[in-house]
Amino acid sequence: MTAPAPSGDRSTIRSLLPLPLLTAALSVLAVLWAVASAPASAQTLVGCCGAAAAVLLCVAVTVAVQARRAARSVRAALRTATAEAERAAQERDLQAERWRREHQRHTDATAHERARLAEEFTRERALRAQESEGERVRLAAEVRRLSEQLDRALGDRDSAIAATANAAARMQALATGTLADLRAMEERHSDEEVLADLLHLDHRTAQAGRLADSVAVLTGARSGRRWARPISMESVLRGAMGRISGYQRIRLHSVSDTAVAGHAAEGVMHALAEVLDNAANFSPPNAEVHVYVEEVPAGAIVSVEDSGLVMSDVQLRRAEQAVSGDAGGLGGLTGTRLGLAVVGRLSRKHGMKVSFRPSARGGTGVLILIPQDILTTAPSPVRRPADPPTRNAPPRAPEPDLDAPAPAEVTAPAEQLPPQDDGADTPRTGDGLPKRRRGRTLAAAESARAAAQSVERRTDPPEDIRTRANRFGAFRQAVRAGGAAERTGGHPLPDVPDDSHDTPSPQTETVHGGPTPSHPEGDTTS
Amino acid sequence: MKRPGRDDAPDRLYTLTGGRSGSGPDSPFDLVTLVVAESGPTVGMQSEHAAVLRLTQAPTAVVEVAAELGLPVSITKILLSDLLAAGRVSARHPRNSALPDPDVLEQVLVGLRNL
Repeated sequence: MTAPAPSGDRSTIRSLLPLPLLTAALSVLAVLWAVASAPASAQTLVGCCGAAAAVLLCVAVTVAVQARRAARSVRAALRTATAEAERAAQERDLQAERWRREHQRHTDATAHERARLAEEFTRERALRAQESEGERVRLAAEVRRLSEQLDRALGDRDSAIAATANAAARMQALATGTLADLRAMEERHSDEEVLADLLHLDHRTAQAGRLADSVAVLTGARSGRRWARPISMESVLRGAMGRISGYQRIRLHSVSDTAVAGHAAEGVMHALAEVLDNAANFSPPNAEVHVYVEEVPAGAIVSVEDSGLVMSDVQLRRAEQAVSGDAGGLGGLTGTRLGLAVVGRLSRKHGMKVSFRPSARGGTGVLILIPQDILTTAPSPVRRPADPPTRNAPPRAPEPDLDAPAPAEVTAPAEQLPPQDDGADTPRTGDGLPKRRRGRTLAAAESARAAAQSVERRTDPPEDIRTRANRFGAFRQAVRAGGAAERTGGHPLPDVPDDSHDTPSPQTETVHGGPTPSHPEGDTTS
Repeated sequence: MKRPGRDDAPDRLYTLTGGRSGSGPDSPFDLVTLVVAESGPTVGMQSEHAAVLRLTQAPTAVVEVAAELGLPVSITKILLSDLLAAGRVSARHPRNSALPDPDVLEQVLVGLRNL
């Protein structure tokens, strides 16, 4: 029984021992008592039965002790487990309570936070709304102020432009008047020095006039002059040339006999003048600027070639843009670079096209296309109508010397001839005014009318001629106090046709249509 | 002074002569010098030169050329000098015998004064 056993069992075994040992001792004692008390014959049997009973009792006690002990230990384990379960349940409840409290706390915190944020948001929104309202008011005031300022600026600009345009128009008128005066003075003074001075002044005035024209164009004023008749291309080019400072360096190469319509001539001239001025200013001071005119189906191309600075691509583009005429405003103008803007305005007005390209001469070439609709094919007859009669001028020239100052006397009435009795071949409008036929210039129409007048006068009633002859006779009489009387009598109208047939040219009609109105009168009275 | 007319020519006188105002001291031209064209006008010529050449197909006095061109005499002289230098015109002075009798001229003068 004391055999080595597992240490766990030892206490169990030891705790099991006392009661069975006590039982064994008691039963041994009882058996011994029984044996002793029993008859000797029965002692052996009683001893054996007693011993067996004692052993059984011991085993039973031992089993009972063992069972009790097991029950006790199971109960204890059960109690422990129950306690454990209760503790766990308690723990769980505690945990749940804690969690609930935590949840509540968080919920409360969140709600609080939300309320706080909502309040803050509301406050913020109110603040922002207030601020934006203030800003809106401020901006509205600003807008009002700016629009007032804009209105005022626009008004100022308009009145400034109007004043400038007005001043430019007056300067133009002054320059034009001065130029006419200078021309008259140039006619009057034949002294070369005076003439040189006058030409110098003329040149200066023409340049001043061009500047006034530029200002007028930029401010949208009326263009300076209008020509009543087409201006020949040569005159247009020379008119443009005469308005720039370096005109002596311009070389014209024009064989064109086109003319620019009167209403557009001034604009074309001005635009050309600006282009020529640019060309002359941006080329070396002694280099020539060449101008060519070429007629193309679309009109006439004037090309201006200088040998000055080569414009870069950027400059070319900028120049093209400046003359394309789409720059509506006056912004970007500098005081010294008016030219291209003026060219742009004028070319848009008259439908001209201006393009720039590098020139073969080493500088820049400018091509100006003058459209067909402002060109006329009729040559500008500034002096052409004067040409035919002059062929007959030489025979007529010496005659006045011989035939006394008659023409001088009769010129005055001839000039005062009113146009109402003009010839029949002049086309008339419905109200009897002379009508200018298309393609004919005023000068030609005038000469035709003068021719008609001369024809009419030649068929005057004889009394009229006779009175005049008598008047002339009186004059002759005063000169030659003697025998002029019979010559005045012998000076009737049959002389007239003879004189008119004197002229050798076949163009007799045009001869009478010459711009010297004294001619028929001289014939009549000679 | 003259009012600016609608029919003035746009070209200024200095552009006709290239800026010259005198034809030089040895110019053979005076008012009555007779000018004769030696050739016809050619294409591309300055229009005044062409007009002079057309005018002077028969001998013509300088003053008359000037009147027909509508230009001052001094300017006409410059144009004629150019043409003369180019050999396109020739110039000669009128013969004295072409002048009328001084007696007649004097009578004209008297008559004019009596007017």
